[in-house]
Amino acid sequence: MILLRLISWPYTRKHLARTILTTAGIVLGVGVFLGMHTANQSVLYALHETVDRVAGATELQVTAGESGFDEEVLERVQARPEVRVAVPVIEAVVDTALPGRGSIMILAVDMTGDRSLRDYALESGDEAVVDDPLVFLAQPDSLIVTREFAEQNHLQSDSPVPMRTMEGPKQFVVRGIMKPSGLAKAFGGNLAIMDVYAAQKVFGRGRKFDRIDLAVSEGFTIDQCRAALEKTLGTGYQVETPGSRGQQFDSVLRVYSVTMSITSLFALFVGMFIIYNSFAIAVTQRRAEIGILRALGATRRQIRALFLAESGVAGLVGSTLGLGFGFLLARATAGYVGQMLEGISGIAQRVDEVATDPKLMGLALGMGIVTSMVAAFIPARNAARVDPVQALQKGKYQVLSAGENRVRRLTAVAFAAASVICLLVNGGAVVFYAGFFLATLAALLLTPALALWLTRAMRPLLRWLWPVEGALAADSLIQAPRRTSATVSALMLSLAMTIGLGGVARASYESITEWMGTALNPDLFITASPTLTSRSFLFPAYLGPTIRQVDGVEDVQGVRTPRVRFRGTPVLLIAVEVEKWAARAGRRPVEGRADEMYRLAAEGKGAILSQNLASMKGLHAGDLIDIPTPAGPLTLPVVGILEDWSDQQGSIFIDRSVYRKWWNDDRVNTFRVYLRKGASLPAVRRTILERLGTNRRLFVLTNEEVRSYITGLTDQWLALSYSQIAVAVLVAVLGIMNTLTVSIMDRRRELGVLQAVGARRRQVRYTIWMEALGVGFVGVLLGLGLGAINLHYVLEMAHRDISGMLLPYRFPTNIALMMFPIILGAAFVAALWPAESAVRGSLVQALEYE
Amino acid sequence: MKPSSCPSAALCAALLLAPATVLGQDARQIMEEAQTRTRASSQHYEGTLQVFDARGKISDKRWTFDRLGSHGSSRSILRFTAPPEVKGVALLVVNHPDRASDQWMWTPAIQRDRRVALQDRSQRFFGTDFSFEDLEERDVDQYDYSMDGEESLNGAPCWRIVARPRKTKVSQYSQSRVWVRKDNYAYQQVESFVKSEVVRVLKYSDIQKVQGIWTGRTLEMTDLRRKSRTVLKLDELEYNRSMKDEDFTLQALRREQ
Repeated sequence: MILLRLISWPYTRKHLARTILTTAGIVLGVGVFLGMHTANQSVLYALHETVDRVAGATELQVTAGESGFDEEVLERVQARPEVRVAVPVIEAVVDTALPGRGSIMILAVDMTGDRSLRDYALESGDEAVVDDPLVFLAQPDSLIVTREFAEQNHLQSDSPVPMRTMEGPKQFVVRGIMKPSGLAKAFGGNLAIMDVYAAQKVFGRGRKFDRIDLAVSEGFTIDQCRAALEKTLGTGYQVETPGSRGQQFDSVLRVYSVTMSITSLFALFVGMFIIYNSFAIAVTQRRAEIGILRALGATRRQIRALFLAESGVAGLVGSTLGLGFGFLLARATAGYVGQMLEGISGIAQRVDEVATDPKLMGLALGMGIVTSMVAAFIPARNAARVDPVQALQKGKYQVLSAGENRVRRLTAVAFAAASVICLLVNGGAVVFYAGFFLATLAALLLTPALALWLTRAMRPLLRWLWPVEGALAADSLIQAPRRTSATVSALMLSLAMTIGLGGVARASYESITEWMGTALNPDLFITASPTLTSRSFLFPAYLGPTIRQVDGVEDVQGVRTPRVRFRGTPVLLIAVEVEKWAARAGRRPVEGRADEMYRLAAEGKGAILSQNLASMKGLHAGDLIDIPTPAGPLTLPVVGILEDWSDQQGSIFIDRSVYRKWWNDDRVNTFRVYLRKGASLPAVRRTILERLGTNRRLFVLTNEEVRSYITGLTDQWLALSYSQIAVAVLVAVLGIMNTLTVSIMDRRRELGVLQAVGARRRQVRYTIWMEALGVGFVGVLLGLGLGAINLHYVLEMAHRDISGMLLPYRFPTNIALMMFPIILGAAFVAALWPAESAVRGSLVQALEYE
Repeated sequence: MKPSSCPSAALCAALLLAPATVLGQDARQIMEEAQTRTRASSQHYEGTLQVFDARGKISDKRWTFDRLGSHGSSRSILRFTAPPEVKGVALLVVNHPDRASDQWMWTPAIQRDRRVALQDRSQRFFGTDFSFEDLEERDVDQYDYSMDGEESLNGAPCWRIVARPRKTKVSQYSQSRVWVRKDNYAYQQVESFVKSEVVRVLKYSDIQKVQGIWTGRTLEMTDLRRKSRTVLKLDELEYNRSMKDEDFTLQALRREQ
């Protein structure tokens, strides 16, 4: 402690700017880690919160995927002695036409029995009352809203609430207001209650319910009740606690969570390099100080402990600031993540609060401190090894010894060879990730040598551009490889990850575009919601022939897309008229024969899987799968595997006749409409809207609009890769500023001499700038090189462990080219202040500097 | 003189035995008699309902009630006629002597009927203080009875009888305490218990003889937990009106009148 106070603190104060820059690396890493995970958790927390609040006293819930089930199931459940009370539920998220309110969750229940499970009113309270239950039931336009919703929209009893329903825009009436607690806080307070039978009509549910909520009879346990219901209902139904249902959302967000983890851990890793760089430089600078301390009796252990303690404190300060930064980031991104989730999966959730998790905060704090200390370990060890005599010899340690170089290169080659072996050997996940790690280590070990070689290669060009300044800059870099290699390494890693993610983005984009070209080729899409993923509203099947009769329409295909639980994962079941679909939008399978695949599926003798689902579940053509249905398990062989981007969790394609038979459901999510040759698309669209859209909720989207929507969703998702660029730029700025600041301190005398012999300030500035640009350029080149290798690993990771999609190798040339001006620009900006500080100091003091 | 031929002995025996016969009349017999005296092939009335909630707010409704049969084997349809917002909402109750009744509700606005689940019978009937179970016709064979004593209520001497539902009778109530008037076997009051707590009290007043049947023309149900009460007045009360079986089916329920 005394050494910290007497030695470290004065040094820190003297080099405050550099300390701040060093700490900024940890702030960035911890902030990104905490921010991304907190945003993720906030969305999940909001989803779970809604599930729990809506569940109330419900102990078990019966569902059959997203397709719902016939009303008669309710009587079967109610007949069980293990069931004390069972009530039907329909849940839907709808748009209100209230200004600025967006979506509202409708919880539709049978009020005769639902009061046993959910609390709508206080026993003695006068705040929350359903004014007249009979009127509520008798009038299907009745709503109970939350106090919060009512106040925000200036509503009271009998106030109208406009909503867009299956029957077109309708006015609903507030007939009760809930107190602001419990159920009323679900979905951020944007919740309304209505009668379940009225909801069937409003949301096109026919005679189906979404689920049954129930409480267990006295004398029975939840497990006993669940077992009895599972036996009664069969395998097509899920009987779960509300908490288990909430866990489905975790899997939907899994892909995003994994990507966030990679990005945030990477930011921390890069922060580590910045810390390493700073401490390595600090050890070099404080050699004399260390030598004196050793001469006065300080042990090697004490010196090591001093530097580790400094790094620990820096880590603590940086992590603490990083927590604050992380929360700000979480606030900014939570809403974005929620929107993205709704767009991709149709699961809507309002994220009004950022969920603070003390464990996550503790983890982030710990990671920041540990990362800082790990980063400083080698410099601390080197500091401990400083010989007191040699410590006073300036410059000795700037050059890497030939011996050190050789060891590094040999180790790098060994690691590289090992990583190649790992690639060739099909040894599973452990071998794969070991190979990835070894390849990265090999690149890091080779960085000083490669940076040196590149700088030497650049020297003639720099001399040619600016004979004096260019040469000085190149020589400075060549003579101080330790100073620059850490920054170059950090930049290299950051850019390699950027290229990796950018490559995945580009490959995904190309694959999605290609998929849209064949799979999404109808001229018009008729949906019941403006987004293709919302499944709150459904069409009756009879609408298909009606649309077919519109002049100009050649063919109409109805598609039903409920989510079903397949081997623990909520996947998209796509029930389509396979024969028609194959004729118009058939794609070549990645496994199986196209003609046989479509024929068997059309005959109801097989299912087609999406590639990502097959990959994640280890399935191949010919395997048998069981799909849970309300009528029992449907066993079908996999007749083919297609590349398909319909859903991140995966898709199963079956013929609509099979779906109708096993789910007893002929409703439709979307009609795919093909026009006759020569028909006018705007005219047909107008006719459909006029004929069918006036009394019905109906959206007619053109092919272009659908593609644009999907492209927008893709852009949202792939925005992550662009956020990496921001991280790379920050790394560049921090690292280069750090390096240059030290460089200028070290060369103060040299720069003073230059000015004394006639060099102008402008020339000194140019030298510093050129150095910065040099570091940036070398970093970019190495980063692109490692990125090309990294991309292969990232694609494989995506295929194995993230999304299951097999993407082609596409080097993101546009991003790579963008990196040059961005990083060089950042390097230039980073050099501005160090360059100014180099020319502004007193010349006399500079000459006296020692 | 042989005791049987001695008029005074017979008289004495009669006098002695008479009170014993009355006292010996057990609770079940009283309840059977009460049920017998109210037996009719059908019942019709137009009901006026007022609900007084805990805040003192009053809501008024009207309904028509038709019942075919009596007690355990009856069917009834209750149809709201006012206010306009609830007109047409109806309830069909099919009573069974040996098990719980079946109940369906009809909502004309969405043209849907829905079954009222057994588990939901304890819920309040459309905001009144009657529960769905309270609208069922009780049959004497569904309960076990015991005498609880005698008491005058509103000036009328009554037997006080405790009725406990048998296993075949699914009920939210653990027991009921019934006051039966001694003079005409009409019900004066019913207290309903959940466990040992009185939760509802049903009072009959304005008891009149209609077509030979003593009937309370005003019923007041008080929910002690909610501190609210509902007053039902039976107007246009008529018994043994001609009614058809097919008017008490689900199809009839769906027919709006």
